[in-house]
Amino acid sequence: MSIRTLALISFIVIVSSFTLSYFTSKKPKQSYSDDELRKVALSRNMSSIPKNYKDLLKLVDTDENRLTKNKIALGKELYFDPLLSKNKDISCSTCHLISKDTKSKTVYSELLTAKTNKKSDCIICHMSDQSGTDRQENAIGHQGLENPLHLNTLTTLNSSLAKYLTWDGSVESVENQSGASIKDKYKMAMNEAEVEQRLNNSNKYHKLFKQNFGEVKFEYVQKAIGAYLRTLTTRSAYDRFLEGDNNAMSASAKRGLSNFIDFGCKGCHTGITVGGQSIQKFPVRDYNSIMDVTNSFKDNGREIGSFGFNDGVYHTYPFENKGGFMGQDGRRLFRVPMLRNVTKTSPYFHNGSVMKIRDAVILMARHQLGMSLTSQQIDDIVEFLKSLEGDIVEYDIKDGEKNEK
Amino acid sequence: MKNSTLYMKLSIFLMFSSGIFQMSYFDVSWGYFRMIQAIHILSSIFVAVFILIPYVNKHTYKYMVIRKVNSISGVVLGIVLFLLILSGAYLFLLGNRGGDEIGIAAFNIHLYGSFILLAALLWHIKEKAPNIVAALFVILFIQSPSYSEEIKLHNIQIKEGFKRYHNQDWTNSAKCKSCHEDIFNQWADSNHRHMAGTNPYYMVMENLAAEDMGQEFRLWCMGCHNPSAVTTDKIRTAHAMDGNNMPGIIFESGSKDLINELKVHGNNRLEEGVSCVACHRILKTESKGNSSYTLDLTSREKYVFEDNTNGIRHWLGEKFINSNPKVHKNSYMKDIYKESSYCASCHDEFLPDSKKAVVSTFKEWEKSPFNNPNDKSKHKTCIDCHMTKLQNGKLTPLKGTSTDGGTIKDDVKVHYFSGSNHFLSGMKSKEHEDQTIQLLKTAAELDVDIRENKIFVGVKNIGAGHHLPTGVSDFRELWLDVTLYDENSNVVYSSGKLKEDGNLDSDARVFMKVFGDKDLKPVGLFFWRYEKMISDTRIPAGERRVEVFDIKNLKDVKLSKIIVKLNFRIYPQWVTDIVKNAYPQLTNPPVVELERIEKDFR
Repeated sequence: MSIRTLALISFIVIVSSFTLSYFTSKKPKQSYSDDELRKVALSRNMSSIPKNYKDLLKLVDTDENRLTKNKIALGKELYFDPLLSKNKDISCSTCHLISKDTKSKTVYSELLTAKTNKKSDCIICHMSDQSGTDRQENAIGHQGLENPLHLNTLTTLNSSLAKYLTWDGSVESVENQSGASIKDKYKMAMNEAEVEQRLNNSNKYHKLFKQNFGEVKFEYVQKAIGAYLRTLTTRSAYDRFLEGDNNAMSASAKRGLSNFIDFGCKGCHTGITVGGQSIQKFPVRDYNSIMDVTNSFKDNGREIGSFGFNDGVYHTYPFENKGGFMGQDGRRLFRVPMLRNVTKTSPYFHNGSVMKIRDAVILMARHQLGMSLTSQQIDDIVEFLKSLEGDIVEYDIKDGEKNEK
Repeated sequence: MKNSTLYMKLSIFLMFSSGIFQMSYFDVSWGYFRMIQAIHILSSIFVAVFILIPYVNKHTYKYMVIRKVNSISGVVLGIVLFLLILSGAYLFLLGNRGGDEIGIAAFNIHLYGSFILLAALLWHIKEKAPNIVAALFVILFIQSPSYSEEIKLHNIQIKEGFKRYHNQDWTNSAKCKSCHEDIFNQWADSNHRHMAGTNPYYMVMENLAAEDMGQEFRLWCMGCHNPSAVTTDKIRTAHAMDGNNMPGIIFESGSKDLINELKVHGNNRLEEGVSCVACHRILKTESKGNSSYTLDLTSREKYVFEDNTNGIRHWLGEKFINSNPKVHKNSYMKDIYKESSYCASCHDEFLPDSKKAVVSTFKEWEKSPFNNPNDKSKHKTCIDCHMTKLQNGKLTPLKGTSTDGGTIKDDVKVHYFSGSNHFLSGMKSKEHEDQTIQLLKTAAELDVDIRENKIFVGVKNIGAGHHLPTGVSDFRELWLDVTLYDENSNVVYSSGKLKEDGNLDSDARVFMKVFGDKDLKPVGLFFWRYEKMISDTRIPAGERRVEVFDIKNLKDVKLSKIIVKLNFRIYPQWVTDIVKNAYPQLTNPPVVELERIEKDFR
């Protein structure tokens, strides 16, 4: 091959690499009308949380744990009872913060003016968030022990609608998880025999269990709490939009939703819970090249949006690897988090290293989708995420209705 | 003649309507406003010169000179019209520039005169229509403009026209420290720094307001307390976290958290609260309502590399500024910063819907003898007391520099922002506590007298250019502590002592205002529910208030001594008790003795 041919080939290659972009499609991203957007969302497996109890039952009632009014009431009692923890000082609701009376609109002022307060200062201010989490970076349990893997508390809201639970997705039902939390030595640190004994000793619970299950058994504790968790769902502007109310979401939130679908976020954050339905690798892209765009919170202060040479070691995550958690089987496989109520469950990611929702959106786009979003796109997606924030639904719980499935 | 009368009426109506659409009441958008204004001015000149003046001349001549008709309404109409044309001409030729009184008068004559003109015209046409005139007045004047005004929780304007700023448009205040170290350190422990996420009382109040009035009501508080968060679209004030713990915000001095954040994260993270640029990039303030100021962060003149936070570029950036700092100085220091009205946009507070004044510190100052622009020696603005160094109990302007290595100034404006809150800043720095208490002690003067079986205690506000106390004086305690002794030094009478639980005894004479709701029930912490004032015992600037204590039952007791103290406590105990539920590490604010007077009768 002569020099001349080589020069010609390299000329063609160089010129085409510069001009290629002129031949690609310039069609703008598809924009939907409200009704089209709804249709697209519904066809992509996104759906709303039922308004009434009958429709909820179709989703959450199972053969293994038939929901009855009494069982749910018992589960609620247990959820708020510190009896289930070794030192009798924490209940499920200590970390999965919600108030027992979800109708009350004065939770905060009542706690502030209470004469005796057993609750911690954090809880006093954050109880009224009704987020189902404690908003700590690292979960705290029995005797103030912190989670050894630096994992933070996941919300209980809507959790029964997720296919997988916990950060690595190793648990598949709320019943199993409630049992595991009671027994976990970093959480409530109890054993089955002691739970059964304590409940048997309590007149109230002895009676309630007898009425519901015939006897006190750890399995039934799990079922009762599970039954309550299955009714703990939230409805938001997003649900009203999916049901046909075009005014429920702002224009920005709708743009966010359409970007959420088009960019591919919904590929993983899907289903009724907008996540929680699959296990995926994070981060998909490592970007571990000479140019370091993964950044680190630990090194010399580089952060999202900045850029530098990768003179450091390999970064496991695009944020500080506090706790060293590596996901399922140590392969960085995580359950896709549910995005419902995400705006009230900061800090973000499994070890809580990211404080602000915008930063989390930027990281997810960059590392899972390989995209650099514009400021406007981020704003819109954040606005959409805000529209997923909702209040706990007050179902009119009745017996006699059954899930026919 | 008939036709010309019709044209007359039409053209007056046109001028009137195009005129009133310029009123702020209608709040017409700028695009329309400028057109309406131009149409109004140009058409008015045309109408006045070619139609109105000739017609009125002819008309007056015809009826008053020839037919000798005696019409009062006609005379009134003529006078009003004359005034309107005169004021209109003045406004057009010289304008209402704010500086000359005639301009302001012309504006008001032109505005209100136009209503009177319309009324007089109707009267003149019908000669019998005083009731129509009255009705018109009722509709136009009695109706309160606040009906149509949109309720705005905050009034911050972004001059560049953006919807919101980016985090990086704000500048971490610690960045200013490298050249303005003294000023930074003064500000770092001051109450202007600790007004949002680091202030326990504020955080409790913001959360309480959100619960009581809805989440978006937070913006009403945040407009002044947290401008950086409002302008970056944050919906609530956040506090910093260090892992699972809240950093020791109450006792940590020097704003080390900010310095550290700048070191670790550069300028990426938002500094919540009132930062250096929040005040030093305000272009304009108005007294329209809460936080009515205009910010301009992005179009400031920046030197090359000014934004870099570390490395060689940062170093170069500082050198560039220092080699010729004039532009730097001009872009962060405006003349309005020295005026009291600058402080008014936050230190006059209004409820968002009823526009009721909650705090009126600036208005109090305006009416006080401290506001005396004609006599410069008596004129004292906000910064003459609150940004001037105190030494030995006296305002002593500090000679020194505000920039490291800068020119020596005779009166460096210190950034302690001493006011009354010695407590929160004092827990971080003794110097702040000292400055504030010195200032507090210059405020009042006591006198005492006993006659006719009564104790007379006079308290005179001698040092404050506003009420004593001002600000959130519904949460301030300034009271008289009186102790009366008999011959054997036994206490025979006392008032204003603390109860065992730390609260002030109900017999205390407290100088404060008490807000009530519409049924005159005290609103307590929920001060945004204020509708009616229950009591107001504050002492206006320069005035003396006399409190009388009845001691009839001590007629036969031989008295020996009386001690009267003027005590101050920044927050009542019951307020601190509530805040302590959410912030258990908080301590109780101490009682500060501002004045003390003793009188011996032996």
